Amino acid sequence: MIDIWHRLPMRGKMLCLAALAAAIAAPLVADRYLLSVLILVFYFAYLGQAWNLLMGFAGQLSLGHALYLGLGAYTATALWTLFGIGPWIGVFIAIPVAAAAGMIVGWLGWRFAIEGVYFALLTIAFAEFTRIGFDHLQITGASAGLFLSVNSPGSDKWWNLGGGPLLYYYLALILAVAATLLVAWLRRSPLGYRWLAVREDPEAARAAGIDIFRAKMIAMLISASMTAVGGVFYGFYYRNLFPSQVFDIGRSIEIIMAPIIGGLGTVFGPLVGAILLTPLGESLTALMQHFGVNTPGAKSIFYGLTLMVIITLQPSGVWPWLARKLGLDRPRT
Amino acid sequence: MSIDQFKFSRRSVLAGGVAGAALLAAPGIVRAQAQTLKIAVLLPQSGYLAQAGQSCHRGALVAPQVLSDLGYKVELVHIDMESNPDVARTQTERAINEGAHCIVGAFDSAGTLAIAQVCEQRQVPLIVNIGAAPQLTEQGYKFLVRNFPTGGMLVKNGLHQIQALIDATKIAPKSAVFLHANDNFGLAQRKGMDALFPKSGLPFKLLESIPYDPKAQDLSVEVTKIRGLNPDLLLVVTRAADAIKLVRDTVRQKFQPMGIISPGAPGLYDEEFYKALGPLADYHIDALPWANPKSKVTQALEAAYTKAQPKFRFAVECFNVGFTFDALMIAGDAFKRAGTTNGPELMKALKDTNLADHVMIGGPIKFDEKGQNNDIPSASVQNRNQTPTVVLPAEVATMTPVLPMPPWQGRK
Repeated sequence: MIDIWHRLPMRGKMLCLAALAAAIAAPLVADRYLLSVLILVFYFAYLGQAWNLLMGFAGQLSLGHALYLGLGAYTATALWTLFGIGPWIGVFIAIPVAAAAGMIVGWLGWRFAIEGVYFALLTIAFAEFTRIGFDHLQITGASAGLFLSVNSPGSDKWWNLGGGPLLYYYLALILAVAATLLVAWLRRSPLGYRWLAVREDPEAARAAGIDIFRAKMIAMLISASMTAVGGVFYGFYYRNLFPSQVFDIGRSIEIIMAPIIGGLGTVFGPLVGAILLTPLGESLTALMQHFGVNTPGAKSIFYGLTLMVIITLQPSGVWPWLARKLGLDRPRT
Repeated sequence: MSIDQFKFSRRSVLAGGVAGAALLAAPGIVRAQAQTLKIAVLLPQSGYLAQAGQSCHRGALVAPQVLSDLGYKVELVHIDMESNPDVARTQTERAINEGAHCIVGAFDSAGTLAIAQVCEQRQVPLIVNIGAAPQLTEQGYKFLVRNFPTGGMLVKNGLHQIQALIDATKIAPKSAVFLHANDNFGLAQRKGMDALFPKSGLPFKLLESIPYDPKAQDLSVEVTKIRGLNPDLLLVVTRAADAIKLVRDTVRQKFQPMGIISPGAPGLYDEEFYKALGPLADYHIDALPWANPKSKVTQALEAAYTKAQPKFRFAVECFNVGFTFDALMIAGDAFKRAGTTNGPELMKALKDTNLADHVMIGGPIKFDEKGQNNDIPSASVQNRNQTPTVVLPAEVATMTPVLPMPPWQGRK
């Protein structure tokens, strides 16, 4: 990790420190609305990092990451509502549950050579039938949803994630920073190089002696585990879960947007993507209201058009372009 | 100027302190003394709930003028929550920052709960217009009231209406089949039906509950199965698109039940249902909360709605529009009584609501200690001349119910 820091150019170090200081100090100047937007920014940055590990580094397209998010969310919230087990313990049960699901998906896919779009279909299928399963699982409220009470004993304590936006802001910030550091470290580790080799040319990687099945499975394990932690955050932040929402393919698409716009396979891409996308949506809403545009769906159209422009101008994502402009693309030798 | 001139006396410190406190409290005082109640109406105008959200939105658009005529001073801010709880949460924060004193919304339970958390933390009242999850009022929120029945209440009231229809038309059905979509709403209704039908005392046997995929191309397999069971009544939970498929396949297979009745679900009264089926859309019955055609408030709303939406065939969309309007009127009424926009005081006034004149059928709107209005009965709404028409309860009905329904053949 220290080596990664030393490899950053001075300008990069200054920018990282300034951005971190600004993020830490943000609650001093930001009102609750801005804070709620920033929570989403860091939350999507975190989830984007988790997905980027699997797709950006290991080259495996998952369109069903809502599965791990939902399993993490349901496991932790169900433990709390049914047994009074708090989220700090629940998260350590949610992680293996989601990781096991990831292992099953990965094993089925890669053991039987299901690759590319067919693997993506497999991930969607797992998320879908898990959703249907939860729709009928009475212990978690089935399709009628699982709810966290606001007045049960201890539910308002910070150690049960019962705080206001400030608690969730710093939690989301810590998750996003920790995920970025982890991804940066993994990217420079031998495992990271194996992932890149698998992504670029699996046959060549195999010929070079890399156990590509093992490399992919480790990527899936870490990605699913990280996403499950995001699910615990989601469950306690919103305090209600519906299978139709949390396992929905729309949720999976939301997760992958930030890394795609920010820059696939880059360390800072998911962060930059999340910083762009969430405020973009909010700004468009504010602009529409300011100009009195009350046509339903107009914002979605402008949002889509803006994304098309970004992708057309920067097909590799915003971060590689931004890094070039800021002179951050050349590590110190 | 000597330094002595800056010495502070006890009096000047006290005066300065009072002035400072007044300055700091000024926004709050201005907020509390506002002459108009600023309501943020959060609805899913886009996204997968757009159809229903836009329907509610049309009600909110005509509401200020009608409410003004009734003596309520409200100002509305319309916000699209995009069928997305993330958006619902951030937009609620923004609306309150920009001076909203009260929130109305948000049609779906997940979005409503996202809003409820913000409202609870910021002590701003939330009035739920539509949202059937029982947990909304069971989670301990102190700044939430709901003027909408829970899913269980919908089924229970629907079954009561079936009994009332049997009594009014003197039919004697011996059996029924329950056909429901296997989506969230359909499965929740099935759960309610399984729990409540055995206790309902209805004088017929429920032969079978049959789920169907609402995305199926047709319902011929299900109708064949129903035809084999030959029930007198067909109880259905559908959406408009599958209700059309159901009736088409029922006619095609020449199956003629005494009636097709929905115990608390949409589908049989939507405009697309009438357009697709013409005369075959008639005589089906929905048992659900409905606008009271004899209420003066409904009549005022209808007049304004017809003016605002001249292309709509019906005077008013009696479910979504009715509940949305009533939620706004509840807010206006509480503000009128409280005389302040201060959240806790406004909430206290909301809890004390006793509103006799309103749009939806039922007694005075009152909330229990949890914030639920428990007196929202269903009406029997029968399609007559391709228009949803209240046929029961008798005191608000504009026609009498017709059962058994006339044969499919020969309808004009």
